[in-house]
Amino acid sequence: MTELNICHLYPDVLNLYGDRGNVLTLKKRLEWRGIGCAVTELPIGERAPLGKFDLFFIGGGQDFEQGLLLEDLRSGKGADISAAVNDGAPFLCVCGGYQLMGRYYETHTGEKLPFLGALDLYTVGGEERLIGNFAFETEFGPVVGFENHSGRTYLGEGVQPLGRVIRGYGNNGSDGTEGARYLNVFCTYSHGPVLPKNPALADGILAAALERKYGRAELVPLSDMSEREAHDSVLKALTGE
Amino acid sequence: MRLFLAILLCKLSRALLRLLGRGGTALPGTLALRLCPDAVSRLAKGIRCVMVTGTNGKTTTCRMIEKLLREAGYDPMANRSGSNLERGIAADLCANAALTGRPKKRWAVIECDEAAFKRVCGEVQPAVVVVTNIFRDQLDRYGEVTHTLEGIRIGLERAQKAVVCLNADDSLVASLAPDAPDRVRFYGIDAALGEGADVSDAPRCIVCGAEYEYEYHTFAHLGGFRCPGCGYSRTEPDVAVTAVDALTAEGSAVELRVDGKTYPAAVSLPAAYNLYNAAAAVAAATALGVEPARAIKGLARIESGFGRMERFELGEAKITMILVKNPAGCDRALEYMASVGEVSAVFCLNDGTADGTDVSWIWDAAFERLFADPAGAPHNIIVSGRRAEDMRLRLKYAGADENAVTVIREVKALADELASMSGEVLVMPTYTAMLPLRAELAGRVGRKEFWK
Repeated sequence: MTELNICHLYPDVLNLYGDRGNVLTLKKRLEWRGIGCAVTELPIGERAPLGKFDLFFIGGGQDFEQGLLLEDLRSGKGADISAAVNDGAPFLCVCGGYQLMGRYYETHTGEKLPFLGALDLYTVGGEERLIGNFAFETEFGPVVGFENHSGRTYLGEGVQPLGRVIRGYGNNGSDGTEGARYLNVFCTYSHGPVLPKNPALADGILAAALERKYGRAELVPLSDMSEREAHDSVLKALTGE
Repeated sequence: MRLFLAILLCKLSRALLRLLGRGGTALPGTLALRLCPDAVSRLAKGIRCVMVTGTNGKTTTCRMIEKLLREAGYDPMANRSGSNLERGIAADLCANAALTGRPKKRWAVIECDEAAFKRVCGEVQPAVVVVTNIFRDQLDRYGEVTHTLEGIRIGLERAQKAVVCLNADDSLVASLAPDAPDRVRFYGIDAALGEGADVSDAPRCIVCGAEYEYEYHTFAHLGGFRCPGCGYSRTEPDVAVTAVDALTAEGSAVELRVDGKTYPAAVSLPAAYNLYNAAAAVAAATALGVEPARAIKGLARIESGFGRMERFELGEAKITMILVKNPAGCDRALEYMASVGEVSAVFCLNDGTADGTDVSWIWDAAFERLFADPAGAPHNIIVSGRRAEDMRLRLKYAGADENAVTVIREVKALADELASMSGEVLVMPTYTAMLPLRAELAGRVGRKEFWK
């Protein structure tokens, strides 16, 4: 039977803004197509060989718990994650999870926190939070969501943006980019959560995982009536179209 | 002179708004504060005030305290409309004042938004403060829960004379105790009521970061917590629900221990979360000197508040409106909905500032609960509000058939539809979605508005 093993990294501390909805969406969209799906949660303090997983998800979290998280990453899990990235494993990383994949986070007081460095990008803390509904154009069509971040993220040379901002701030509010793409890693500031309202992106990530595991990805189309209408209503409210 | 003008203008603008059929307090309060920035502190002078803050249960707890005080022979003023920011509180204090600034009523029960608490606390100098609970709520506005906690902490530092009633079962709220040494009154529930949430808002110790262990859960992150790392743990409460004998759609029968003595108590509002509100109200009333037995008697005569478990009978439809605004509150409402069984369910989701502009919280609430047992699932589902499509999508992923969910956008059409239903109808709106629908339903059953 075709089946994907999904690993939800740090669900105990990175679980803000309905992030669970992303995992639920991946799971349901596989189930609706008769594809098996197992979700394993890997909280702080637990390690597992990451090679057995086909798809990873990391969400956003609170500053309070960040210290604990960095400690856990240094225990070896961080190296495991970087290795999985370079091995071509698909990842969806949202908000704090996105920043974590980069090289470092510089607080607005100038303190530099070293992050994973799996992707060539970095984040600088800002005073003003960038908050609101937003939309950006991607290879999967326009993606809609809600952003709420004080960090400004800048991409290095080897990393492509996930999309171009249509309305809102995106990575840093200045260069028009949103999110990051590198090998099979998909990063975004969009929660909402991002996948339910953007089924093409969800299927794109599932296809990457199936492709890598089975060499081919056949995803039969789903009805997506509620998905499409929810997506279109937000896009229309943002752009007036 | 400035105070006189502020009171005058506030009273006039409020009267004018009411003539126009509106119950607004935001504009009159803003005007008063503009004219006299220290109006709140001057008007609160000489008033014995109870302030209630926290994420959920503020309005109901205030109503309960008001009732208990009233039954004990006091006549408190209250900001009943739920406009709980500084300007709303200013407006209600102006309304309570003679033009000279002298207060008409000498007692007050004031609901205060948790973000406004630190400012208002220093101005009002409350005699009693109640902190209900802290859950993740409107992150776009309040930020993270630790940020909310910090704001309340600052407020308590400014309320040097207040007896502080804290929820013993909430590890976040209870951590405020050292900020009011010797003045804390704990309340809580000693009995297990359910299981913890899938996503806890406080899984790790606020002091040292280790994962909490629980002797029992009431709901969400509330319960008998203990940190194995540093030993921070639940304190035995002064006011505690010690046993729950019955939980029905009409209310609860419990045993309540107050300062060592146990009493039987009837609470006239349904749902387990109202037991916390009841314990908080008894803690506050007894802190003000009301006899425990007398306070407890009042719990049997609480009427539901504005959109909070408020009932409307429209034709054959028995409508209950339950305001929801965050995952923890929504889970309680869903739990209640599942316990009632065969219902028609109506979800109204708006994304105004007062609702939270970020609607992603609906994915943190366990709507799956409604569809776990197909026989008990709602037989009729309607979604409404500016984000009706997001709501329908959430229900689809929770297990609803998307084609069986009706979208009704307009308030009058929605009320017509509700009136045509029969049996139990549970309506769960967010704040700004609640206001027009409640007004429409109240109009149809001939109920007065809150300001009348």
